Parts: sequence; structure tokens; C-alpha cells
Amino acid sequence: MARLAPARYKQLALDYGMIFVLVALGAGFSMATIRVGYPEDGGAARALARQIVADFGSGVPVLLATRDSAEGAGFASAFRERLEAEGGVVVGETQGTPADARRSLEALVDGQTLPQVIAGPQAAGSDVFLPGSLEKIHPALAEVPFVHPPGETWPVFLTQGNLLNVATQIVVIALIAIGMTMVIITAGIDLSVGSLIALSACTAAALIHWAAGEGAPADVGLGVVVGACGAAILLCGGIGLFSGVMLTVFQIPAFIVTLAIMLIARGLAYKATGGQALGSLPDSFSWLGHQDVGGIPLSVLLMVLFYAGAYVLMNYSRLGRYIYAVGGNLEAARLSGVPVNRVLVTVYTICGLLAGLGGIVMASELKSGDPKTGQLYELYVIAAVVVGGTSLAGGQGRILGTLIGAFIIGVVRNGMNLTNVKPFNQYIVFGGIILLAVLLEKMKERFVKA
Amino acid sequence: MNRITNWVLSSVLVAGLMGCGGGGEDRGAEGTGDPAPAKVIGYSKMNSNNPFFEVIAENIQAAAKEHNYQVRVVSAEADVAKQMDQIRDFVVSKVDAIVLNPADSEAIGAAIEEANAAGIPVFTCDLECTADGVKIAGHIATDNFQGGRLAGEAMIEALGEGGGEIAILTHDPAASCVKRVAGFDEVINTHNEGRASGTITVVKRLPCDGQRDPGFKATQDIITAHPNLAGLFAINDPGALGALAALEKAGKSDQVKIIGFDGQPDGKQAIKEGKIYADPIQFPDRMGQEIVHMIAQYFAGESFEPVRLIPAELYRQADGQADPSLQ
Repeated sequence: MARLAPARYKQLALDYGMIFVLVALGAGFSMATIRVGYPEDGGAARALARQIVADFGSGVPVLLATRDSAEGAGFASAFRERLEAEGGVVVGETQGTPADARRSLEALVDGQTLPQVIAGPQAAGSDVFLPGSLEKIHPALAEVPFVHPPGETWPVFLTQGNLLNVATQIVVIALIAIGMTMVIITAGIDLSVGSLIALSACTAAALIHWAAGEGAPADVGLGVVVGACGAAILLCGGIGLFSGVMLTVFQIPAFIVTLAIMLIARGLAYKATGGQALGSLPDSFSWLGHQDVGGIPLSVLLMVLFYAGAYVLMNYSRLGRYIYAVGGNLEAARLSGVPVNRVLVTVYTICGLLAGLGGIVMASELKSGDPKTGQLYELYVIAAVVVGGTSLAGGQGRILGTLIGAFIIGVVRNGMNLTNVKPFNQYIVFGGIILLAVLLEKMKERFVKA
Repeated sequence: MNRITNWVLSSVLVAGLMGCGGGGEDRGAEGTGDPAPAKVIGYSKMNSNNPFFEVIAENIQAAAKEHNYQVRVVSAEADVAKQMDQIRDFVVSKVDAIVLNPADSEAIGAAIEEANAAGIPVFTCDLECTADGVKIAGHIATDNFQGGRLAGEAMIEALGEGGGEIAILTHDPAASCVKRVAGFDEVINTHNEGRASGTITVVKRLPCDGQRDPGFKATQDIITAHPNLAGLFAINDPGALGALAALEKAGKSDQVKIIGFDGQPDGKQAIKEGKIYADPIQFPDRMGQEIVHMIAQYFAGESFEPVRLIPAELYRQADGQADPSLQ
């Protein structure tokens, strides 16, 4: 079919063919994670309340049990409202652990207000509400049923929570992969990004602790937090700039320069925090990693924003054209007036800045600066770029392909955790998928060109 | 053509994945909620290169079978960001309980808060979480301070009246290992008090990451700087075995008495052969079993002691010779 398509579609397929792999993986993991899930939302709560009044009559005394969570609280208020509107009575309410559920049952028994029904999400109360267990608390409870919204069969992989989870998990890799794509298109490589993540995270945390002085670091103002994060990102950008200068002015191979920087930055990260993870940071520090706008995590929005910017930069700006030109043929680019050295330095600086930003996102998620984080991330980032269709030989690559590559890596990691792939096998599967994805890309290229 | 290749290769990918999923796969819940589906425990272990955590994992799985729970084991590889992702995956797939060995005592707090917010109980074992404001439903570990004291007593016993210079291989990111060293130091300091000769002096403390290779390198550096070293305490067996390799290479394994910690099979073997003097041994098998029993108590709403410390026991050469589990 693709052969008959106009050249433009052919090119699109060539650039973003990996999306088929992503969809196939998603479909595979969806099939592998089909399970019965028990809803815990307001709609299920209202339906349950109506059902109880229909089955047991109005005026029925109900013990309402939920877990101590936001979902649980939403379930409880929706259920109570609907049940009371239908004429039922909530004689007891418990929100918490199975032990809390047991205590509230015992309190009801002591107060002689036995419920006729126990209602709540399936997970509430756990084993406490099993018939045998209820009988032991009080013989009169033996006949009291625990009713919960019925199970729904649905792939766990495809739940909204999980898809957002995948997106959140790849933010750090995907952000840095933007810079790495540019670096690799210039036929370079940057091995220092994993260490820069740790350096950025630790620098920001250490600066906040330093700024707090004698006071509690958790109480510093927003200005200090923004300043510390900005300084950490700029430091990483400066290190990227340094790498760029070393490899253009002194002609040291990028592999060697960034390998050295990788070690130096890791050491500096350990020094910044004294080897320990620095925690007790202010709440504002964790916003980026924990807040959301309309259900979409801030970090994911940041990632989308950066990809939009990078797409424009790579496709519609002079710098973008220069980056492809430098990678395609360095000498030809130089002869046609491309400021090759400036382009290279810029690209490594961008990569450093983005690694710094990635470090801030990670530190924000962990609410601490940990010098051990980010190990092997350079390889995940490079894998995302290559799986996304960028050639290590330079001159070729698409920024949105990289985003797809990052998603493939995120989906595989998440999917393996959901499907109980054993830790040892995770490595094998992960490596195999990277290999197969690139192999597929190669084969497709041949078919499209043929 | 192109699309066909895509699908063929993709299905190979997916089929491969499923294959590796292998046994113990979650089959989803049988029936539609009546009887209640098997409960799922998610276990994020510290790493895959320390057999200690594998023993915990095996015993969690064995004990879980008795209670008809399913267990999903993942490995954090000592990377706290990876462990956070794993906990998030457990939370979205709504496991009934989470067990973990925190990859970092402080930084894992944010992930545990997310599990707390979803109402899923978190149990820690071996290593504890020291972050503020997190709810830990239960914790089981070795009494590491008492174990460290045993290590100190073993060191005094090994060096005899002569005393001498000793070194410690530390692993400060783990609070448990800090406690071992604290217990060790306390016994050694008490021993040295008011003693004119035969004191035991700690001349060097170096991190060994709790792993063989860094332990090997650190020990090489220590004996270069302190050729008269008489003893070495490593906070776990991989560290002690790394130290042993370095001492054997330098021809100093007779001069330097090693005290390890853990009682892993190869550590015990080295004790039996007289290469390591003694280990305060831990009981990872009991840790794995008891954490599952604690979870069962939690599910049943029973009250239980949320922190359970298992005392370490000293394991010397004679214990090794009588140990049927060794060759």
C-alpha cells in the first residue's frame, strides 16, 4: 500500500513508522493485563447506593467503609448523598485500614446499632468483611453481606491512571532525548547526561539547604527554590558548553570528552550532598513532579511544550537546518558557510541544559537530591533516540520520532512491571526490544526506498 | 508490504514478551468478585546482584502461597527513581499491599506518599524509610545495632590481647549499615577505655557500596596505606568477600582478620574455610516469611507490633563445620 502512496506519506511513514511498534506494544500489553478491576468512583458509589435500597428496602442501616485515599473519600461522599436521598441510613462510616474497619464494626456492635449491610469499594476492609471473619467479631454479623460495585474487566495497561503513569515516567528521558537527538544528528554523542541529572538534582537541593542556613530548608521561599533550580540548570548548561568547546577547539572526540565529564559530574554530585540524598525540601520544590493541571501532570505538560518547541526549532529555524547540515557532511557545511563550531557548541549546551532540567524534574518527583540517580540514563536516552529512528551516523533523525522512541521505552518498562516479567528477564526483553525496533526500522527503510 | 512486515515483527515482539512473562503470571481475577479474587503483593527488591534479597523474595513467594496471595517481584537495582516508577506501577494496577527494600532511606519517601494517598499499605523490610510524613504499615529487619555489637565482640575475640589497627568498609546510604557500624564502634570504644596496651584503633573507614568490587578496591587502598592492618569489618558479605579477594591477592589474608555481616552462603563457606573469622548472621528467610504474615494480619484487621526486629546471631568457623547446608 505504502508504495502507492504519494511521496509525502511515504516520507511520513519513513519518519514516524515506529508509531506502529508503539501501538503494537500497547495492544500486546493491553491483552496481557486484562483483569477484573473494581471501580471506586462516584458513579459506581451512587449505583451501589441505589442497588442497596432496591434490594434491602428504604431505611436500611448501612456501614460505609472506604480506604483512606482521595478516591475513597469521593466514593464515601457520593454514596452517602445518594443513599440518604433514597431513604437509606448510614449508621457507621470508616475510612482507613482493615483494622479501622474492624474497630468501627466493634463500636457498632457495642452501641447495639448493627448494620444490615456493609458497603464500600471492593478493596475496603479487606479480609475483615469476609463472612467467616464477620461472624467472629459478633455472631449477629454472620448474615450481614458486604456489597461492593461489581468488577469490570478491563486492561490495566489502558487505564487513564496507567497511561499518565507511562507519560510521567518518561519525562526525564524524553526531555534529555531532545538534546541528544540534536547531538546525534550532528554525528556526536553525549555520555554525560546521566551524571548531569544527578549533578543538577544535588546542586539544587544543596543550594536550598545552603540558602536556608540555620533555618529549616523546608521553609525557604519560592524565589530561593526557583533560583536554586535555575542555577543548577545553568551549571549543567555550562558543563555542556565546556564539552562543546573541548571537542571543537581541541578536536577531542565527543565520546572521550563526555565520558570524562560523566565521571567528573558524578563526583561533583556526590560532593554537593556529601554522598547522601538531601531531602526535607520545601513543598514548592515538589510541585513540578507532583502537581497537575486538569488531570495532566505538570511535568508531562512541560515535556509536550518542549517537544513542540524543538519540533519548530528543528524544522523551521536556521539552527535546525545547520544541525542537519553539520551531521550530513561537516566539510560541505563548513564550505557553504555554516558556522560549524558554533552549531556544535550550541547543541552540546542545549543537551546540558536539558539534562539539568531533567535532573530538576527527577529531584522534584523524589523530593530530594540523590547523587545515585540517573545512572545508565545516558543509555536509555540514546536508546530512545535511536529507536526513534535517528541514525548514529548523523544527518538523519526526527524529533517526534524520538518522542515515540521514549514512549516505546516507557511502555516496555511499565508493561513489564504490570505483567510480572521477572527482574532478570526484564533486561533481556528490554535489550531485545531495542534491537528488534531498530531492525524493524532498517527493514522498513529498505521497503520504502525500494 | 511495509505494513505487513510491521505487523509480523510486532507480533514477534509481543509474543516474545508474553513468553518471558512466564510462570506465576497474574491470570486476572477468576469469577466476578465472588469469591474475592486473590490478593496481590508487589515486592520491589533492592537489587538483583545480592542473593540476600533473592532469599527474601523466595520466602515471600513461598509464604504468600500459603495465604493464596499472588506476588509480583521487581528489582530497583539500587536506583530510587526506578523504584519510584515501580511503586507507581503497583499503585495503578491496584495491588493490595506493597513490600519494599528502600533504595534510599530518604528519597523513597515521595513514592511511599503516593502509595499512602491511594490507600495501599506499604511494608518495608531489611531497610527502613526515614523520610518525614510517610505511613509505613509494618517493618521487619535485623536488629542491626545489636548485630554491629556482635561484630565488635567478634573482632575483639579475633584480635585477642594484642589489639591492632583495623579498617571498616561502610555503606552510609543505608541506615541499616550505619547502625551496624554504630554498634561495632560502641563495643570497640568500650573495649579501649582505660586500656594502656592492646587497644583496637580504627585507622580507615571507606565506603564499599555493599558490593564486592568496590569492597575489593577499597581494601586494596587500605592495605597500601596501612600495611600493618590486623582486622577489617565489612558491613555485609559482598563487601567482606571483596575485601578477602584483595587481601588474598596481596598475600595478607592470614594477617588481617575479617568480620563480615549477613551469613550468605558464600560468606558462610568462607567462614567454614577460615577465610572470614565470623559473621553476625541475619535471617532473610524469616524476614520474607514474617512480612507476609504481618500483611495477613493487616488484611484481617488484627493489631500487631508494626516494627519487628530479628536479633542477629554470631556465626563462627565451628558453626560452619557443623552446617549441613555447606559442602
